[in-house]
Amino acid sequence: MMGSTHERPLLTAALVMVATVLAIVPLLFPSFLVYQLSIALTYAIAILGLNLLMGFNGQISVAQGVFFAVGAYATAIFATRFGLGPLATLPIAVAMSALIGFLVGIPALRMQGLPLAFVTLGLAVLVPPLALKLDWITKGATGISFAKPMPPSWFPGNQDTFLYEMCLVSAAICVWIARRLIGGDTGRTLRAVRDNAMIAESLGINLTAVRLAAFATSAAFAGFGGWCFALINGYVSPDSFQMTMSFNFLVGSIIGGITSIAGALIGALFITFVPDWASDINLALSGVIYGAALVVMMLLARDGVVGLARDAYARLRPTLFTNTSRKSSQVRAADLAPIKTQGRTS
Amino acid sequence: MQLFFQQIVEGLASGAIYASLALALVLVYRATRVVNFAQGEMATFTAYLAWQLHEWGVPFVLSLIIVAPLSFVLGALVFRLAIRPVMTAPDHTIVVICIGLFVGFEAICLWIWGSDAYAFPRIFPDTAWTVGGIRFSAANLGVLGVLCVLALGLAAVFRFTRIGLAMRASAAEREKSPLVGIRVETMLMLGWGLATVFGFIAAVLIAPKLFLSPPMMVPVVIYALAAATLGGWDSPVGAIIGGLVVGVAESLGATFVGFIGSELKIAIPFIVMAIVLVLRPQGLFGKTAVMRA
Repeated sequence: MMGSTHERPLLTAALVMVATVLAIVPLLFPSFLVYQLSIALTYAIAILGLNLLMGFNGQISVAQGVFFAVGAYATAIFATRFGLGPLATLPIAVAMSALIGFLVGIPALRMQGLPLAFVTLGLAVLVPPLALKLDWITKGATGISFAKPMPPSWFPGNQDTFLYEMCLVSAAICVWIARRLIGGDTGRTLRAVRDNAMIAESLGINLTAVRLAAFATSAAFAGFGGWCFALINGYVSPDSFQMTMSFNFLVGSIIGGITSIAGALIGALFITFVPDWASDINLALSGVIYGAALVVMMLLARDGVVGLARDAYARLRPTLFTNTSRKSSQVRAADLAPIKTQGRTS
Repeated sequence: MQLFFQQIVEGLASGAIYASLALALVLVYRATRVVNFAQGEMATFTAYLAWQLHEWGVPFVLSLIIVAPLSFVLGALVFRLAIRPVMTAPDHTIVVICIGLFVGFEAICLWIWGSDAYAFPRIFPDTAWTVGGIRFSAANLGVLGVLCVLALGLAAVFRFTRIGLAMRASAAEREKSPLVGIRVETMLMLGWGLATVFGFIAAVLIAPKLFLSPPMMVPVVIYALAAATLGGWDSPVGAIIGGLVVGVAESLGATFVGFIGSELKIAIPFIVMAIVLVLRPQGLFGKTAVMRA
């Protein structure tokens, strides 16, 4: 994508800058905003998984909230029943989500495209009633509360700050994993299946296995996000995991830009703050504003915020990097010109 | 045993409602390859319109007759403004548009009419007949009758009229149909309009049971989606049978499977569907797409 040599340092610098700004955020903002940002980071992790699945493997899932809920519930249940610490519950939460993703994927992946989106939607609807029904383990409507992790003694700052930084580190780890996955052979396989399943199959790729693996991996990311979500709240209940959560993840993923990692963060900020702002404007109208925002956004900027940014960058690029880019484009134009005219005359 | 058959009758009646909404979904899908999540919310909105007219003193039947063409216009408008510009876009764009419509229509109802549930007038009288210990209420029979009329009407339009033929043609061959003089976009708009009318009918049928409230149709649309998947997305017959199967399975499952009960009955269509998907991915009546490499 943005691969040429003189752009890489720029990209790295930007990344470092963003990371630094994010890390010192708790010093600058009131604690409620810090809490909201922590929530946004947990969403970002789930959306990142969805981007892997949707952007790089071409499968639409409206069930990301389900796996998020599984991760959160697994964390809460293992923390209260067995007294496990956060580091012990993390692998459990991730593994449980991945496992459920795998099991669900077996029938669901028989469908592709919009029907698949719907089958997963059905799962999303099921979560709250199922959480209520399984009350011997989920404690039903009361939910499960447990102690949030305390900051270690060397940590300069209060608990909220600690939880925020924990989410930030988790998100960074997930970004790193996602980049590794997208970069190598795995990423090529995923994209091959997305772009042309038939050719991918003829090259010896097992479509079902790849799709299942992508689905389970994406679910694992959601489980990671759910783990963070449970820890920063110290509480889980069926109310937190309504169908709208799965909708929101999907919306965030697409609004941010599905083939991008930065898009996951932007999308997470969108779904955390835009409904809030909309209800600040007018409480009764907030849903109408939110719905209209989605439709208009898709009509104007189909590839999301990152897509918009990429377009703008492509337009600005010749002026930013005069020396190489412009020359090469001139050369190409000169080469093509005679061919074009020949083609037209003959 | 009597309870068993009674539950089948009840299931068929609610299944008929799911089937009419599933018909709407399949119509839209066949015409434009869009799975319209928002169909149910649009239906709720139109049901509110009819209810409002009735509240203002318009006779109930007349208000239905007024709102039916209005819903047609609503469907056509939604297609024109929100769907047509993204027809060639990837699936996920369309999903977000549908989510936007879903959230938007529900919010409009909430904004105008508030979150209180209103009693919706019944179309069918409150009588019932008992045959062999099984109770057939006029409402249940009426709903089944409406479904039959809808299905036969739709089949007749598609089979015997020019416009039906043109609609089928533009659904099957969007690029080639204009060559024989079919206005494809008009046909697609017709499809959306017609589907919205079907949604309206489904909402009017179920509103007396569920009471009119903004999220009224959410479970119904879920059942309808399951019915469409069950029957196969390209088959109206499948949608009808799928709807009836889902209705009966829901009613029997909620009564006879202890764990499920009434809280989890929304899981039933998915269990049925998961089984069908594993055995027959294209649905009961769907055709497998044959692709040329």
